[in-house]
Amino acid sequence: MTTSDEFGSLATPLEVSNSPALKFEVLARCSTTKARASKMHLPHYTAHTPMFMPVGTMGSIKGITTKQLEGLDCHVILGNTYHLGSRPGPELLEKAGGLHRFMAWNRGLLTDSGGFQMVSLLKLANITEEGVEFENPHDGQKMMLTPEMSIGLQNAIGADIMMQLDDVVSSLTTGPRVEEAMWRSVRWLDRSIKAHKRPTEQNLFPIVQGGLNVELRTKSALELVKRNTPGYAIGGLSGGEAKDSFWRMVSLSTDILPTNKPRYCMGVGYAEDLVVCSALGVDMYDCVFPTRTARFGNALVRTGSLSLRQGRYGADFNPIDKDCDCPTCKNYTRAYLHTTVTKETTGCHLVTIHNIAFQMRLMRDIRQSIVEDRFPVFIREFMKTRFGQTVPMWIINALQSVSVDLTVPDSLTGYSATPVPDDFQKTPNETC
Amino acid sequence: MALHFELTGVKASGAAVPRTGRLVLDRASGKAGGAEQGPIVLETPGFFKYTRHGLQPHLVPDVAAEVDTLPAATRVQLEDFLETDSPDCGRYSEGLHKFLALDSSEILILDTLDPTIYARTAKPTNAYMAIDSDGGTRRLAAAAFAQLANSLKPDIVIPPFDVIEDPLPSLTQGKRISKSVARTAKWLDDCIAALTYPVAIFAPVAGSHSLELRTKAAESLVARQDIAGYAFNDVGLAVTQDYKLRLATHSLEKLDASKPRYMLGASAPDAVLRAVLGGIDLFDSSYPYAVTEQGFASTYVLGDSFSCTQPASETSVASATDAAHLDLWQESMFADFGPLVEGCACFTCRGHHRSYIHHLLKTKEMLATVLLQIHNLHWYQRFFNDIRASLAQGLLPADTEHFLKKYGCETPQTLGGCRPVQAFGELDALASQTLSPTTKIQRKRHAEQQPLETAAS
Repeated sequence: MTTSDEFGSLATPLEVSNSPALKFEVLARCSTTKARASKMHLPHYTAHTPMFMPVGTMGSIKGITTKQLEGLDCHVILGNTYHLGSRPGPELLEKAGGLHRFMAWNRGLLTDSGGFQMVSLLKLANITEEGVEFENPHDGQKMMLTPEMSIGLQNAIGADIMMQLDDVVSSLTTGPRVEEAMWRSVRWLDRSIKAHKRPTEQNLFPIVQGGLNVELRTKSALELVKRNTPGYAIGGLSGGEAKDSFWRMVSLSTDILPTNKPRYCMGVGYAEDLVVCSALGVDMYDCVFPTRTARFGNALVRTGSLSLRQGRYGADFNPIDKDCDCPTCKNYTRAYLHTTVTKETTGCHLVTIHNIAFQMRLMRDIRQSIVEDRFPVFIREFMKTRFGQTVPMWIINALQSVSVDLTVPDSLTGYSATPVPDDFQKTPNETC
Repeated sequence: MALHFELTGVKASGAAVPRTGRLVLDRASGKAGGAEQGPIVLETPGFFKYTRHGLQPHLVPDVAAEVDTLPAATRVQLEDFLETDSPDCGRYSEGLHKFLALDSSEILILDTLDPTIYARTAKPTNAYMAIDSDGGTRRLAAAAFAQLANSLKPDIVIPPFDVIEDPLPSLTQGKRISKSVARTAKWLDDCIAALTYPVAIFAPVAGSHSLELRTKAAESLVARQDIAGYAFNDVGLAVTQDYKLRLATHSLEKLDASKPRYMLGASAPDAVLRAVLGGIDLFDSSYPYAVTEQGFASTYVLGDSFSCTQPASETSVASATDAAHLDLWQESMFADFGPLVEGCACFTCRGHHRSYIHHLLKTKEMLATVLLQIHNLHWYQRFFNDIRASLAQGLLPADTEHFLKKYGCETPQTLGGCRPVQAFGELDALASQTLSPTTKIQRKRHAEQQPLETAAS
C-alpha cells in the first residue's frame, strides 16, 4: 500500500513550479479530461496528487497512531487552527517545536485559517474589515481573529501549507454580501502575505471565493493569480449548494488557475466528488466525512457506504470489501464489526482505518489511471460500480464538460448511463 | 486433553503457597494431521489478555503488536456478543480465533462475564444464567453455552455459573448461596454433557462468602478428571479483595493442587501480589485497562528491578517514585515534554511525551487512551516478569511487603470496607464510571450504579 514508485518511468515533468517551500511537478496529464498526476515536494514530505488529506482536528486522527497513518499511505493530514489555537495554544506548540513534533508526524501537514470554524461553530460571529469578531465560548468575552493573527497561529503550528483567513459566506448566500466577501478576502490575502513570517518553510494558499456567481469567482481567481502564490484553494463550496452549481464553480476556477501549481478543493471527500473534481483538474482534497462516518459505523466501499450497525450484517461473514488490502478487511468480517462498531473504541478504529485506506486507494487508482492515460475508462468503471445505469445529472454534466460522455457507450467498457436528478446516492448500488 | 498445567520448582507444601508453573497447550496432540505447531506456553503466575468485544481495549492488532512479549493467551467474555440469546457469531464456522483475527498460537479462554463489571441486576433461574445487555436481559443456559463453544472452538471455557451479586453480603442468606452452589454444579454438568468440541474446562468455584458451602462446592470438584482448572469469580461480592482472597484460599485448600487457579477481579498489582502469595496462578489484564480509563500512566515497580523511574522533569511531584501512577490530567503535564516514564521502552514513551497525551485527554481524543493503554499494558507484563523473577529468587514475600508499604496499601482491609482513593483503586473507579475519557459511548449498564463505598466498615 504505498505510492513509492507509481510514477515509475515518468522522470521528466511536463510542467513545474518552484516556490521556496514547494516544488510542484506535473508528471502526467489525462489526454481527455483536465486531470493530472503530480508530485508536490513539501518541506516534510513529497506528496503525490491528486490526493485526499484526512482531517486531524486536534492534532490526532481519531485514535490512529502516526505510524498507522504512514502505513495507510497518508501523505498530508490536516489540523484545525481554531481548535489547536485554543488547545494546546500557539505558545505550547512553539515550545514543542511545532505540530509535527508535538504529534510525532513526519509527513505533510496543512492547517486551515480558523475562519470557517468561527462562522460554523460560533453563533455570534461578526465580520468586519479588521477580522472576525466572535464571542469566546468559554468566557463569553468578545474576541477578534484577524488575518495577521491567523497567520501568526499557523506560523506557530508550522504546517507545510497554511490557508489565508477568508471572509466565508454560505454558498447559498446571494446578493452584494458575496461580492463584499470576495473582495475582502483578497484584501485579507494581502495582509496575510505581509504577516507571513516563515515563507521559506511554509506555504500560504489563498482561497478562490465568489459564491456561485461566475463573474465574482472569475474576478477572485484572477486576483489571486496576480499574487503568484505556491498553490491555490477553491473555497466557499460544499455548503449545501446544488451539485450542478458546485462543479461549475470548481471547473471555472481550475480553468483560470495556473496549470503548474496545485489546486485544493476544500471540504470535498465523497468518492464520486473526488473522481469528478480530479477530472476537472483538482489536486488536493480534505473532508471529515470518511473518519466521522466511521465513528457511526459506516464503512466506505466503491458501491457506496455500508451501515454496519444494521442487523443484516450480523451474520455476514465477508470482509467490508474483499478487494481492499487494509488491515481491517484482511482480518475482520462485517459480522464481527457489526458486534463492536459504536460500542468499543477499537470498533471505531477498525472502520476508521478501512475508510482512510479506502480514500487512499481510490486516490492511488485515480493517479495510476492518469499516469497510464486511461482515466476516462476508470471514470466509467467507477460510475458503473457506484451508480449502475443511473447517474446523477450533475456528474453527467460535469464529465461532459471534460469530454467524457457517460450517456454514450464507449468502445472499451461499453458502459453508458441515464441521468437522474438526485445529487447524492441514497443507498449503496447493489446491482453489481 | 491438549491442555495441561505443570508446576515448576515448587518447594513449599500446602495449598495456599506461591508457586510457578506453565500452562501448556499442544494443539497437535489433540488432532491427527493438524498443522504442525509447537506447544503454546503461558508462564505462571501470568495473565490472560483482557478483551472487550474480543479485542484488547483501545488496541487494534497492529497497535497491540507494538507491546512487546505479551502472553499468548486471550480471554473473551461471551456477554459482549450476546446481542440475542443465540448470537450470530455462533453461526461462524471457522471458530472464535478466526472471528477475532487471533493467531492460532494463542490460548483462548471463553468466559461468560466481564470481570470489570461489579454490579449485575438480572436474576437467574434454575434453567439459565441471566445477563444484562444493552437490549434487555439475555438468557444463557449451560447447554446453549456449550453449543456456542462447540462452534466457536475456544481452548478453555469457564461454564456459566450462578452469580451472587451482592452489595451487602450480610443480606445474602445461606439459602441463596446454597441454591447458587447447586445451580453452578448442575450447569457444569449440563455444559460438559453438551460439549462435543474437546475444550478444557475451568470450573467456577462456588460458595460465595459461606465457608461451609465453599467447602461443599470444592469437595464436589476435587476428584473430577474432566476439570482442567478452577476459576474464582467473586467479583460481585462487595467485600475487600483480601477477603475474597481468603475465601478463595479456603476453597483451594480442598481442591486439587495440581490444577491451575484463575482469579477474576484480582488484577490490580497489590491484589495480584497477595493472590500469588496465596497460591493463585492466573489473572487478566483488566487492571491496565482500568488505569487507562482514569487517564493514568502506570509507574509502580516491584523491588528495585527497574532503576529508571525518576520523573522526566522537575515539574513533576517530588514523590513520583513512590506513586503507583502518573495522572496525565494534571495541569503540570501541560508543557512536560518528558516521556510517561523516563527510560521506559514502550512505543508510547519512545515516541510521545506527556504534554501531547495531556492535550489528547483534554480534547477527548481517542488516541489518548490508545497511547496510555500501550504503556499500561507494557508495564503490566513487565510487572509479571518481575513477579516471576522475584518468586524464582525466593524474594516475593519480602518484595511484596516492601511494595505494599511503598504504595500505602499494607493495611489489611476489613469486610465491607472500601478502599479509599489510593494506589491501585482504578478498577473500583472504573466500575462506577459511566464514560470512557475519550468517547461518548456509555459503558453498558453502569449508568445507574452507585460506587461501592456505601458498605461501611
